[in-house]
Amino acid sequence: MSESFAFLSDMVDYGPQILNGLINTLLLAGTISVTGLFAGILIFRLTLSENRFIRKSTASYISFFIGTPLIVLLFLMYYGLPQWGIKLSPFAIAAIGFTLNIAAYNSRYLSAAYNGIDQQQLMAASAQGFSSRQIFSLIILPQTLRRAIPGLTNQVALNIKDSSIAFLIQYVDFFAQMQEQASLNFQYLKVYAVTGAIYLLLVSLVIFGSKRLETRYAIPH
Amino acid sequence: MTFLEIISILVRGAGFTILVTFACILTGLFSGLLAALLFRLDIRPLNWLLHAFTYAFRGIPLLVVLFLVFFGLPSIGLPIPPLLAMMLSLGLICGAYLSEVFRGALKAVDPNEIMVAQSMGMHRIQILISIEIPQMLRFSAPGMLNEFTTVLKYSPFAYTVGVPEILKEATSLALTTLRGMEIYLAVGILYFLIYKIMMEMFLWVERHYAIPGFKQI
Amino acid sequence: MTLLQVRNLTKNYDGIGILNGVNFSLHEGEIKVVMGPSGCGKTTLLRCLNRLVEPSSGEIIFDDKDITAADVDIRQVRQRIGFVFQNFALYRHLSALENVKLGLRKLRGLSDAEATQRAIYELSHVEMQDHQDKYPAHLSGGQQQRVAIARALAMDPAVLFFDEPTSALDPLMAREIANLLNRLHAEKVTILCVTHDVTLAKNLPGDVLFLNHGHVEAEAPISELMQNHASENVRAFFEEKAPNA
Repeated sequence: MSESFAFLSDMVDYGPQILNGLINTLLLAGTISVTGLFAGILIFRLTLSENRFIRKSTASYISFFIGTPLIVLLFLMYYGLPQWGIKLSPFAIAAIGFTLNIAAYNSRYLSAAYNGIDQQQLMAASAQGFSSRQIFSLIILPQTLRRAIPGLTNQVALNIKDSSIAFLIQYVDFFAQMQEQASLNFQYLKVYAVTGAIYLLLVSLVIFGSKRLETRYAIPH
Repeated sequence: MTFLEIISILVRGAGFTILVTFACILTGLFSGLLAALLFRLDIRPLNWLLHAFTYAFRGIPLLVVLFLVFFGLPSIGLPIPPLLAMMLSLGLICGAYLSEVFRGALKAVDPNEIMVAQSMGMHRIQILISIEIPQMLRFSAPGMLNEFTTVLKYSPFAYTVGVPEILKEATSLALTTLRGMEIYLAVGILYFLIYKIMMEMFLWVERHYAIPGFKQI
Repeated sequence: MTLLQVRNLTKNYDGIGILNGVNFSLHEGEIKVVMGPSGCGKTTLLRCLNRLVEPSSGEIIFDDKDITAADVDIRQVRQRIGFVFQNFALYRHLSALENVKLGLRKLRGLSDAEATQRAIYELSHVEMQDHQDKYPAHLSGGQQQRVAIARALAMDPAVLFFDEPTSALDPLMAREIANLLNRLHAEKVTILCVTHDVTLAKNLPGDVLFLNHGHVEAEAPISELMQNHASENVRAFFEEKAPNA
């Protein structure tokens, strides 16, 4: 009893730092979710390019980022760039690395959604005289975004979870603060169990929100 | 240190990367298959347990599970060696995702075929082994490849618990040689090569067992 | 000799009677057709007979034993009843040959060589030996149906049940299946065939069991049923199905 009380009081004592870490986690996850979405749309647009070279390079980009661990890219920037005199903050490195990586995944969700839409609509739009830029922004994008909601929101949940690797490049996020806490009170099991529960809660909120979004923006059949 | 020496050290690390990846994939296949089949039994309390397992392991970050296992369990007298810690974290996370893939694939098996097998007098277990599992595995191929790729991409975190795999070797090399840029670039390419080889092997197996008329789900 | 005797068979779903006391018998070597309007319970009847659907009450005497009894090993009984389904339901991951072999290997315990030999024999019986290595996706509906029949025959069944064997086939293929059923009948195979296909029924010898609202309304050769039958329901059915006959 007294032991769990001590554990709780530790948590409370350390509360401000933990809260600060939580804010950093949400800041990073939020940032990369937004930048990753826009970058993903851009990559997706490039996969539809008329230019063969652009299409090929985009495919390689996607394949490379899906095939290589993100942490390698983060370490490359964190430990490698200073060699050239470029020193970026951990947040900047995480934001850039995650965005490049998430863009590859999001573009895949969008491509899958694009493959599901009726190609005759696009022909009809061309026949009506829309430019390819107009067709993309007026017809393709609204439909693929809606159809890709499950994949895209699932990516947001992944972003929250994956942002926890940023402590490895000294970004002081929620997980980093909890590790600090664990190393202070040696209650590794309890601290990491609480950590897991809080991540689970955050992810659950995203899943809940995604279900709402899906029903709200469902395309009528 | 020449760049060739650096590469040879990294390749040595690649052996451990492959070991970790392979061990976690096997853990994932085993636990995912087990969970999907137990779901099939449709026993209420068991279903809740399985839901809790898949939900938790899909919702908690790998590093948190890994640290819970590697640093947490010893505090209650359960020391866990690094590779086992990876299997219990990354392996079971893979299993949680795979069990969802397998459950979806089991639903794609035509109930009429199961009824025919019943009407022939086949036992529940015989039907599972001869009809449902062979079809389920084929339906699951794309999902399985996805999860296996994820395992490879998360395998570098084994370095945080001391497995001397690629990233661990790279980190110490980068510190001693101060050539981080080239080293991590080489590491990225090395992982990409392993990914490509793994994918080709998987696709080869898939083609080998491919049967006309199986649409991927 | 009577192979199958059904007495007062009923089946209720949520208090609604699907079968309301069905009585009939099937002799060895006989072919009997079950017809009736949709929803009359003919598919349920067939599935009750090997307890794919549990009957609510009544007796099913198969080979002098009541197979609804609790101590009956229904899987043993099912191995003696060949069942051919409307949508063929070939195992999609197995070739035609493997489809026929599966039961021989797993249920009869035959060696691979024995099972192969027997399966090839059954496939040639239905003229499918040239397609034995094809997968279901590469076979036409009629071909799939033949393999399904070979698969059932391979188990040496005492009786063959057909559930709407022609409903998923075009008329030409349906005609081939009718010919095949006649050939099997000539070989003294006992057959119970549920169908709504009047053309098929007319092409088969033997009586028609006319099922309506879950009971047998008439049992007679189809020619009798089609000629101004006493029952209003029977007349209405055949007028709708075959107005020109």
